[in-house]
Amino acid sequence: MTDPAADQAPLEAVLKDEILRMYQEVADHPEGEFHFYHGREAAEQFGYRPEWLDAAPAGAVRSFAGVGNPHERSQLRPGETVLDLGSGAGLDAIIAAAQVGPTGRVIGVDLNPSMCQKAEAHAAAAGGRMECHQGAMERIPVPDASVDCVISNGVINLSFRKRKVIEELFRVLKPGGRISITDIVSAKQLSQSIVNDPKLWAS
Amino acid sequence: MFRLLEESGFTKVRSAVVPGFRFRKESTRNSAEAYGVKAVLMTGIKPGG
Repeated sequence: MTDPAADQAPLEAVLKDEILRMYQEVADHPEGEFHFYHGREAAEQFGYRPEWLDAAPAGAVRSFAGVGNPHERSQLRPGETVLDLGSGAGLDAIIAAAQVGPTGRVIGVDLNPSMCQKAEAHAAAAGGRMECHQGAMERIPVPDASVDCVISNGVINLSFRKRKVIEELFRVLKPGGRISITDIVSAKQLSQSIVNDPKLWAS
Repeated sequence: MFRLLEESGFTKVRSAVVPGFRFRKESTRNSAEAYGVKAVLMTGIKPGG
């Protein structure tokens, strides 16, 4: 009997490369046209407050590629520890940092090390603080029971192993901790032609 | 994903459709509609604490 995970490994590797490429492209060339809305236009559409966007560096706002507003229900409080899974150019982490304040802690995790550097630079420019760890969402580089709230925006759908990602969220949260995540879901099983197309999967 | 959250142990799992979400390109938008693709906001709590 073949191992389904092993069978999918080559495709998963290709998809990961395409995901890295696409979101790097959004960060490097936000003026480009993508399958999804991005930047300030998208953030405003999802109800991000203008003062949040005005307080963030332009580069973080321009590169925003989320699918909703996880801050709507995150109810962050001063002093809390927040994990932003798939932190990208850092806009959601910057907003979270303002909410948890100087006694709180914001940890970003992103597959792309250069995005981590960018996010940290954007957070510093905004006068906040975040630490970004390069890593995969299926193996979050954060200790057990160390986080009060996980936010994430349009990232988990990109994983081939969503159950593993959700288990990781559960692991890193403290008892009583919470998630506020926005993501893409589909009512029907996607056709194999879509699953096998890195560009469509990444979008 | 809602089911995965519950199966993983999260409680008080809630989801709400993100009203403003849509794809920019018409071809992607049409495919997304055919598959019932939507953006959702999901919340849940890890028991204890």
